Amino acid sequence: MPDLEIVVCMKVVPKSEEVRVDTETLLLERTGVRSEINPPDMNALEMALTLKDDQPARISILSMGPPFFEPVLRVGLAMGAERFFLMSDREFAGADTLATTYTLAQGIGKIGKFDLILCGEESADGATGQVPPGLAEWLDLPQVTLATELSVDQKKRIARVRREIKGGYEIHEVKLPTVISVKTASNEPRFIDFHRKLWAFEEAEVVIWSHADVDVEHGYIGLTGSPTVVAGLREAEVRERRKEFLRGSPEEVAKEIAKRLRGILN
Amino acid sequence: MVASLYAPSEAKKALWVFLEIEGGDFAGVSIELLSKGRDLAGKAGWTVCGLLLGNDVSDLANQAYSYGADEVWLIDHPLLGEFDVCGYSHVTMQAIKVGKPSVFLLGATPNGRDLAGRLAVRLRTGLNADCTDLILDEDRGVLISEVTGFGGGVIALLESAEHCPQMSTVRPGVFVANEPEDNRQGELVNMKVKLKKADIRSTVVERHVGEGVDLTQAPVLICGGRGIDGDFEILRELAALVDGEVGATRPPVDEGHIERERQVGQTGVVCRPKVALNFGISGAFHFIVGIQDAETIIAINTDPEAPIFEHADYCIVENAHKILPELIKVLRRERESIHA
Amino acid sequence: MTVDQRPIEIDDALWEELIEITDGKAAPCFQCGVCTAACPWGLVRGDPLSVRSIMRGAQLGFLEAQEAIWLCTACGQCEIYCPREVPIVDVFQGLRQLLWERRKTPAGLTTVLWSVYWNNNPLSQPPSQRMGWAEGLDLQAYDSSKHEILMYFGCTASYDSRAQSVARAIVQLLRAADVSFGTLGEEEPCCGEAVLRLGHSPYFQDVAQHATDIFEKIKVGKLVTVSPHCFDVFKNHYPHINESFKPIHYTEYIAGLIEGNRLILEGSLSSKITYHDPCLLGRVNESTHYPRVILETVPDARVIEMPQSGPDTLCCGGGGGRMWMETPPGERFSDLRIQEALDVDADIIATACPLCISCLEDSIGSMGVTKLKVHDIAEIAQMALGEVSKNDPVEE
Ligand SMILES: Cc1cc2nc3c(=O)[nH]c(=O)nc-3n(C[C@H](O)[C@H](O)[C@H](O)COP(=O)(O)OP(=O)(O)OC[C@H]3O[C@@H](n4cnc5c(N)ncnc54)[C@H](O)[C@@H]3O)c2cc1C
Ligand SMILES: Cc1cc2nc3c(=O)[nH]c(=O)nc-3n(C[C@H](O)[C@H](O)[C@H](O)COP(=O)(O)OP(=O)(O)OC[C@H]3O[C@@H](n4cnc5c(N)ncnc54)[C@H](O)[C@@H]3O)c2cc1C
Ligand code: SF4
Ligand code: SF4
Repeated sequence: MPDLEIVVCMKVVPKSEEVRVDTETLLLERTGVRSEINPPDMNALEMALTLKDDQPARISILSMGPPFFEPVLRVGLAMGAERFFLMSDREFAGADTLATTYTLAQGIGKIGKFDLILCGEESADGATGQVPPGLAEWLDLPQVTLATELSVDQKKRIARVRREIKGGYEIHEVKLPTVISVKTASNEPRFIDFHRKLWAFEEAEVVIWSHADVDVEHGYIGLTGSPTVVAGLREAEVRERRKEFLRGSPEEVAKEIAKRLRGILN
Repeated sequence: MVASLYAPSEAKKALWVFLEIEGGDFAGVSIELLSKGRDLAGKAGWTVCGLLLGNDVSDLANQAYSYGADEVWLIDHPLLGEFDVCGYSHVTMQAIKVGKPSVFLLGATPNGRDLAGRLAVRLRTGLNADCTDLILDEDRGVLISEVTGFGGGVIALLESAEHCPQMSTVRPGVFVANEPEDNRQGELVNMKVKLKKADIRSTVVERHVGEGVDLTQAPVLICGGRGIDGDFEILRELAALVDGEVGATRPPVDEGHIERERQVGQTGVVCRPKVALNFGISGAFHFIVGIQDAETIIAINTDPEAPIFEHADYCIVENAHKILPELIKVLRRERESIHA
Repeated sequence: MTVDQRPIEIDDALWEELIEITDGKAAPCFQCGVCTAACPWGLVRGDPLSVRSIMRGAQLGFLEAQEAIWLCTACGQCEIYCPREVPIVDVFQGLRQLLWERRKTPAGLTTVLWSVYWNNNPLSQPPSQRMGWAEGLDLQAYDSSKHEILMYFGCTASYDSRAQSVARAIVQLLRAADVSFGTLGEEEPCCGEAVLRLGHSPYFQDVAQHATDIFEKIKVGKLVTVSPHCFDVFKNHYPHINESFKPIHYTEYIAGLIEGNRLILEGSLSSKITYHDPCLLGRVNESTHYPRVILETVPDARVIEMPQSGPDTLCCGGGGGRMWMETPPGERFSDLRIQEALDVDADIIATACPLCISCLEDSIGSMGVTKLKVHDIAEIAQMALGEVSKNDPVEE
């Protein structure tokens, strides 16, 4: 049986608490802000690596983003991925989820054969969670989101996925190839394998694609390919804990708590 | 630039709401969206349409009218009994092509987000995620969505004026459901669609509710500390009312009041719920690391100086044993009034 | 002495790996078993930590008792009694490294390493909040030409709300003594002690190198730490930084200020204080004198000793990375320690380590003790500052 081909989509996100909005330009201030690999993308990679622990597989990291993603995402190679493709070009910048998913899907097309595409459930910055279903749509594949466990039957070409739902979970079965998004904290990503470190951070060749290297239509990528327009941007007033004291009789306070719970949960 | 499947000029002055079904009833967020849709459309003179998919669900149409739908587009099909994102996208697409709405709203639930994400690509349109507010610019016919990012630290206003339908998913609880008008009438549009078994592309082979719950994934966490004197029964009662899970600090675990698996913190479980309610917990660092990623933290402690208040959004200086029964009473009353 | 009678299966490859990773450090062990008898786990478990048999495994190349390998608190008690001077803690760490290579580590520990990687602290706290505790204190950025010392607060004192009060107390003491000091602010590097103790030696080398580069760049001289853990790694496990680099635990530095009459404790604190030596001060670094100098200077205080003190101190249970692993109730050394403090009728059990504070306070809570309080020596000295110095705008 051929090796399982897994593509893991990963991105780098700024530390949320450090991001500020420039009140004059109304743009996000990202300079000097620390970044990290989007946490659930680490869980997605771990899920792929766990599969590879038990069966022959090849893992490719795919990302769209600026050049500084490269050193950060090499961590994935050090954890055990074989290949890393970075789609990096000014033309890709400013993409909303439509343009992002189109670009990533074209990148996947260029990578070629694959059985599984794993994503994080959502990013720590845009946090739309729209990339996994959008990718699945461009590639005309089934999808299962919010997965916490995954097993693959290569012979039957079936993936079994545990998906978290309200108050419990479901087990889905889908045909390969498929797109799966992985829940944050659903596993504990393994640490860098120091035997791979030198290779991963210094020797490994990262494939960097500009728009000219992939089969993309100009009107579909970056800002031009994005229907979504940002009409305003500001910082939230409450970034820290509110520390608001609710006072009154136990009955009154209970009502206040219930009111807030209703607002949060529903 | 990408053109959407139909241009804004071709779109009907209609606002569509995806009516998600949860346990035989509308999901709360669908009712909230009908209510909000009614307000927005009412001012602009648009129609509100509910899109109702399922197997044998036509009975629900009346309820949709009572919350503000002028029309219900019904797609009733044996293969739609279970939500499958591929099947649902397939038929929704057919309805949208006919109805050509200007705006299409869905709940930002797991299934709502899945469906919206696929459809937006198929329609080549913009999709605003997890919105916390919606404004309709009546003159331009443009929907402006408020979204948050960076863990809620940044708020953005988004629009996609050149593409149709203008899609948004909205978080549950953002809008308030209107009081239903029981004899409000509407029109049922019975859509005939093409759907075959092969269009359904994933199968749910097992479903487990109320078991195997993973504390790290629980949206509501009810935590008890030493200050509740081992009374976890009442916390369980509360948890059941809000679909939550019970967690604890280390001392009650040590004392055998609750299983070790439910210990939250540095040497326990690290959780990231929407809300964590903490009863009788001082707020030691080793505990706080287990809830610091919660969106909202509520703390109840008799000691006004308790460190946990430094980490809480809502602070209540009171005996937990007094708050708990009252809170349960209020929530129970609320539940009953919804189900009545 | 008992000798294991079972036949043992020896795996040559494992043996070679083990010898390499532990650097053959277990070789001198002649299986006397003194270490097992000395180890505090014997005080709390019916089934003690058989240090001897773990050393035997390290000699012969078998990896049994994998759970036991994670018990060691790096307290060093066994090492001072070992007749063959086996560096037992190092051997344990080597064995842990082997388990890292095999990915057989207890749940939660990888998260600690990742946190150091992304957050520059092992506590999963945001790096930008490192100086959050010092808001309003107006601390200066370190300048080696201007400042007497670099004050190194460390991760625990920066983030753990309990330990933050120790950091504030030290700032107040330094100001009361007119010491010019600077800090590295948000750029203060994690010392990597957690990584070292959890046994990931290769990553520890990286962390230490990163910190070393920073220290070199700022031309560090005297570096004063809050935690004995940071002090110990800087002193004993770091690469050479420069000639003038000198890590000092704050107890030594403050004692020096007192002895040099720069710091005068004029307030009164009429309490019976007993001192719990942190392993890494009292035993591993043989620093028993300075903490006592400070306590004995406190007007009206009476310092009493517990039976296990100085180099013979009883471990609190929080070292060796044990802060990230659960210890079942009834097996926490700190319970014994609190009992010991109660037995000598102390009002305050003083210590000089943020991890000791955590463990001791936790035991006080679980034992329902009300008459005994845990304080860091810095807090005690702060309480004993005279009225004048106390008015320095430091609180809050
Ligand atoms: C505050 C804010 C709000 C936004 N709101 C919207 C909105 O409502 N609608 C909209 O269309 N756009 C929105 N955007 C833009 C959006 O963030 C970008 O289009 C982004 O490239 C992809 O979306 P995401 O970050 O939400 O990804 P998500 O869909 O949340 O990410 C899920 C997973 O997809 C994969 N993935 C996502 N991006 C990449 C990538 N670049 N490379 C590789 N894998 C990736 C990862 O596995 C990730 O875990 C918003 C941006 C910000 C900053
Ligand atoms: C190595 C190590 C690891 C640890 N790991 C963890 C961990 O993973 N998780 C964890 O939780 N702890 C952990 N701890 C313990 C931690 O340090 C604290 O001791 C513990 O969190 C305190 O729990 P608590 O808040 O329930 O108890 P306490 O600190 O005793 O607080 C009880 C609180 O209840 C309040 N109270 C009393 N009566 C009432 C009432 N009737 N109504 C309302 N409030 C009342 C009191 O004012 C007080 O603030 C660890 C400790 C160590 C040393
Ligand atoms: S260092 Fe301490 S805990 Fe570890 S084996 Fe020796 S005595 Fe036991
Ligand atoms: S005390 Fe030293 S020589 Fe004796 S068994 Fe322990 S390690 Fe070996």
